[in-house]
Amino acid sequence: MSTSGKRGMLGLALVIPSFLILFVVVILPILYAVRESLIDQNSGEFGLGNYIRLFTDPAMRKNITYTLNVTIVSTLLSLLISYSMAVYLRFSTSWMARWINRLYFVPMFVPGVIATYGLITLYGNHGWMVRLLLLLGIDSFPKIIYDYNGLVLANLWFNIPFATMLLSSALAAVPNSVIESARDAGANIWQLFFRFILPLSYKTMWVAITFIFMGIIGSFTAPFLIGANSPQVLGVAMQQVFSNYQETHTSSAMAVFMFLLCSVMGYFYIRTMGKDADV
Amino acid sequence: MKKMKWNVLLLSVLCIALLAGCSGKSGSESASASGDGGSGTTEISLYTSGSLNVKELWESLIDSFEQKNPDIKVKLVYLPSGTGGQSALDRLLAAKKSGQTNVDVDLYEGSLDDISKGSSEGIWAKLDSSQITNLKNVDAKALEQAKDLAVPYRASSVVLAYNSATVTNPPKTADELYDWIRQHPGRFAYNDPSTGGAGSSFVNTAIYNFLPPEDMNSSDPAIAQKWGQGFNLLKELGPSMYQQGVYPKKNQGTLDLLANGEVDMIPAWSDMALEQINKQLLPNTIKLTQIDPAFTGGPSYLMMPELSSKKEAAQKLLDYVLTPEAQTIVVNKMYGYPGIKWDLMPKELQDQFASVSAGYRQFNSGDLQQEIYKRWQSEVAGQ
Repeated sequence: MSTSGKRGMLGLALVIPSFLILFVVVILPILYAVRESLIDQNSGEFGLGNYIRLFTDPAMRKNITYTLNVTIVSTLLSLLISYSMAVYLRFSTSWMARWINRLYFVPMFVPGVIATYGLITLYGNHGWMVRLLLLLGIDSFPKIIYDYNGLVLANLWFNIPFATMLLSSALAAVPNSVIESARDAGANIWQLFFRFILPLSYKTMWVAITFIFMGIIGSFTAPFLIGANSPQVLGVAMQQVFSNYQETHTSSAMAVFMFLLCSVMGYFYIRTMGKDADV
Repeated sequence: MKKMKWNVLLLSVLCIALLAGCSGKSGSESASASGDGGSGTTEISLYTSGSLNVKELWESLIDSFEQKNPDIKVKLVYLPSGTGGQSALDRLLAAKKSGQTNVDVDLYEGSLDDISKGSSEGIWAKLDSSQITNLKNVDAKALEQAKDLAVPYRASSVVLAYNSATVTNPPKTADELYDWIRQHPGRFAYNDPSTGGAGSSFVNTAIYNFLPPEDMNSSDPAIAQKWGQGFNLLKELGPSMYQQGVYPKKNQGTLDLLANGEVDMIPAWSDMALEQINKQLLPNTIKLTQIDPAFTGGPSYLMMPELSSKKEAAQKLLDYVLTPEAQTIVVNKMYGYPGIKWDLMPKELQDQFASVSAGYRQFNSGDLQQEIYKRWQSEVAGQ
């Protein structure tokens, strides 16, 4: 066998273990879920019945639009906040920036359930925030827990630290010399941002968006504990359909739909990455 | 180069072996479980599932049982709820079907549903009061309901928990309760019925109070046509609920609201509420009461598989569980109702439980329960 042939074999052999694991724990279950989702929950026949019901049932449609709404709003807000925070941390040398730099990732080490109960204790109807404001003579407080607001808030809590960390490392790679020479050439702050900082961290921004989006769209713990009863996000609705109504086929259809939504994000992600590799 | 290739090959073989190993593991575990203790002692396996308090209960029951019967060892196989209680039952069914003559499950704790599932296949042994003399302590009606195949050794029910500091005159009937809810908007909450029994009991009783009592134990789909009035009531009550219709998740969700004073009244499991009052997780102003017609509840049963080869020892444990002494442990540990008649229990326990021992109704409608959840979700939660 020629040397290149041997190397090819070696390469293949190196890939096989990880491919096998991927195949068994990822690809097979996906195929299985797709097959399950195509068996009609009511009639047991093969077809698109579950999907048709998914998009025609008014309650389920509300759940879908609600999920997309929560996800997109939370993703954009998380990105906006973590981007501005990352920029601030990159260019500010104040003591405040130093402290934020040390503390911002703490939420990542708090388990989800505990954080959720923390949010309930803090922002609940009789929570600390309400009592504090009451002391200051303010007795109206927006409904946060068991509402849309609470969900967005929880999503921000869970996603900002990670996104900030990603973006911070991207911004750290922007050389000071570039910024300084642009300043010397008379660029104002906005030009600096849109001409230099954004293009240089664009790729990481997509990584951040992808991760935030997928994390939020599949979230369960926080929406289960602090979400409204109706509409529900898809993760909670899926659990209910699966465990309480015991409709495996319907819940499979929901899972496949969620997978498709994430695939769209994945497609953009891979395209951005690919484009970059070509340059 | 050649050596490296071998390493890679070895690695891939290992990976495949690992993957294959994952699927085969569960079968071999059970084989080693059935060994007898040898020298004169018999080991029986008790399969149980449920919340952690069930496990703690059995640990203390088994402790005192083994002290009295040194020749019997009880192996507790505890499956946390939702992790495989069903598979133990499936195994019994499969063993029966495949004609095996022996199983390693000697006692099985389950629900009325499990009894009927297994009885059609004949996997449960008939219990005989000449072998288990303490069966006479059990209410005859309860045994009859279990077709003499199971011992209802403890029970709990949903009751009304209220804050006596703000509610001086708690409702006594279901209609009074609904009126109270209307008059005190935002002060009552029940949990999402599909996430916990307390909420589903509130929903089920609201629906079935309009129906003849025998419908509560029927799984006839035609009954679903008669639910309308009950659902209308629930819809109408919706805006008077906590935050105009927030139904927290899980039984604990509403208990939390009651604990920090956000609501004044909730339906709750008697055992959960009593335990939390006792541990001061709920303020001592929280009182429990039962309304008329009562909320639902139910016993937990012990069954003996027909294929068990150690029936004699298993019967001894069943007999022990039905003594007033063991039942006192049940009541004190689980805050549950005893499986035997109340008047056989110590006087002070009778007094302590007087507020909730008024009784309960049983609800057993099979798959209709899921239909109720579904309809509740779309009509009441999504109104």
